[in-house]
Amino acid sequence: MIEYVDTLLPYITTILLISSIYAIFSLGLNLEWGFTGLIDFGHVAFLAIGAYTTVMFNMSGFPLFLSVIAGIVLSGFFGLLLGIPTLRLREDYLAIVMIGFSEVLRFILLNEQWLTRGPFGIHGFDRPLQDVIPYQHYNTFLLILYLAILVIIYLSLERLVRSPWGRVLKSIREDEAVPSALGKNVFWYRLQSLMIGSAIAGLAGAMLAFYIMYIEPNTFKPIETFHAWIIIILGGTASNKGTIVGALVFCTFLSVTQFTNRFLPFTAHQMGAFRMIVIGLLLMLLMMYKPEGIFGKKEELALSD
Amino acid sequence: MDILSVKDLKKHFGGVKAVDGCSITIETGTVMGLIGPNGAGKTTMFNLISGFERGVGEIVFKGIRTDNLSPFKIARCGMVRTFQIPRALTKMTVSENLMLAPNTQAGERIWDVWLRPKRVREQERQIREKSRDILEFFEISHLEDEYAGALSGGQKKLLEMARAMMIDPSMMLLDEPFAGVNPTLARKISRYICELRKDGMTFLVIEHDIPAITKISDRIVVMNEGKVMAEGEPEEIKRRRDVLEVYIGGEG
Repeated sequence: MIEYVDTLLPYITTILLISSIYAIFSLGLNLEWGFTGLIDFGHVAFLAIGAYTTVMFNMSGFPLFLSVIAGIVLSGFFGLLLGIPTLRLREDYLAIVMIGFSEVLRFILLNEQWLTRGPFGIHGFDRPLQDVIPYQHYNTFLLILYLAILVIIYLSLERLVRSPWGRVLKSIREDEAVPSALGKNVFWYRLQSLMIGSAIAGLAGAMLAFYIMYIEPNTFKPIETFHAWIIIILGGTASNKGTIVGALVFCTFLSVTQFTNRFLPFTAHQMGAFRMIVIGLLLMLLMMYKPEGIFGKKEELALSD
Repeated sequence: MDILSVKDLKKHFGGVKAVDGCSITIETGTVMGLIGPNGAGKTTMFNLISGFERGVGEIVFKGIRTDNLSPFKIARCGMVRTFQIPRALTKMTVSENLMLAPNTQAGERIWDVWLRPKRVREQERQIREKSRDILEFFEISHLEDEYAGALSGGQKKLLEMARAMMIDPSMMLLDEPFAGVNPTLARKISRYICELRKDGMTFLVIEHDIPAITKISDRIVVMNEGKVMAEGEPEEIKRRRDVLEVYIGGEG
């Protein structure tokens, strides 16, 4: 019994840590897609920018807190930079540009070794309060820290989307001609949404780096973007609460199914593919029977008409 | 005084001359009807005036050149339009639809949401009150908390007008306000337009329902094939043979 507790607790801590990182990452996308209707297929790029900026600033001697701020700001800045040429166009252009950008960025990270150490990745950077917290309790500390950050981000986003500002975003999501005709600068609101969503992804990037202690370009493959999409659709588009629950369900599923190859005749590689098949199937069933997700509102379903 | 003057406005789509050198002026506080057969260029004219499309020519609204401004800037000058097919925000409630509109909201700026929450709350209260007054004016108060998607076609038209009223416009462009609306509701809409006109609002109204539009208009412009073919007082227009021919097909 004691043995179980000894292995189970760190295991649960791990799942919760990963879930909280995914939750924050997905909350950023939920602001963009769920509330504004922006199709961002390159969200992982901002996770990468946040992680690399934080780590590289820290490695060149900046205090950790400032490094994280730099990561957030730079992610938001790149959101702005990409938004300016694309957000005036139709929604699908943003999707194409974003997925392209996230891959180009990954290749830059892989190839510009003088800057990023390329495929060797970066490790040996500071972690928050690493000198104060004993190593055996470090993950527990990190979990408390991350849950606190998650709560702050969640409450901030809730406040924003319930404000008149959020009301404008929702109107843009539905039909941009209406807010335009009423005097709203649709482009500027979209840009704000993309910047904030990207900055939040940047924060998640820094959190990811602190947790895994090692970053390399292939941590940031496009699949991560689509994990966030799955989480949002699962939890309920335009529901921040749903996104958090979606992240927890998704990460638990991914983690628990790692053990199922004890019961199934699959290699680890096949198991990975099999998991994706199951997720796909579950999503299809969800779309058929509860298309609004766990916490979404049917009346506000973004894809329906 | 003229609130809007359009000079030699042109818009071509490939070989189609949708609007081909139109000039109109509208006096403040009047209702102008815009009629013409399908494809005459009425809606394109609306799109040009409200900035949703760019053409060639001069548009001056309240002394400001607006032909190069984006739609939201034109709306902020005090001109608001409705759409031929009503564009209610169906996934928002009626109340949210209305409360979205005012452009003076501090809460529309992200920093004010954080720094001046009290002011934002106070404004929300005022805007809600205003939205209730306007809903009452249009006699749709009972729908306040419904999702706009649940409204009938006619109710959506009223909602669109009510929403437009929320920005305190000085001029409204209405695209077929009577189309697909039952006679009682149509009379209601006419009455609203007349009441608002008395308060000094200017209207430009596209409409196919000739009896209805002649009743509420001070002047009428007839468009055909992208050009203004007639302009004058309703009685004058009704007597013009060429107008009747365009509408009824040469036999009238």
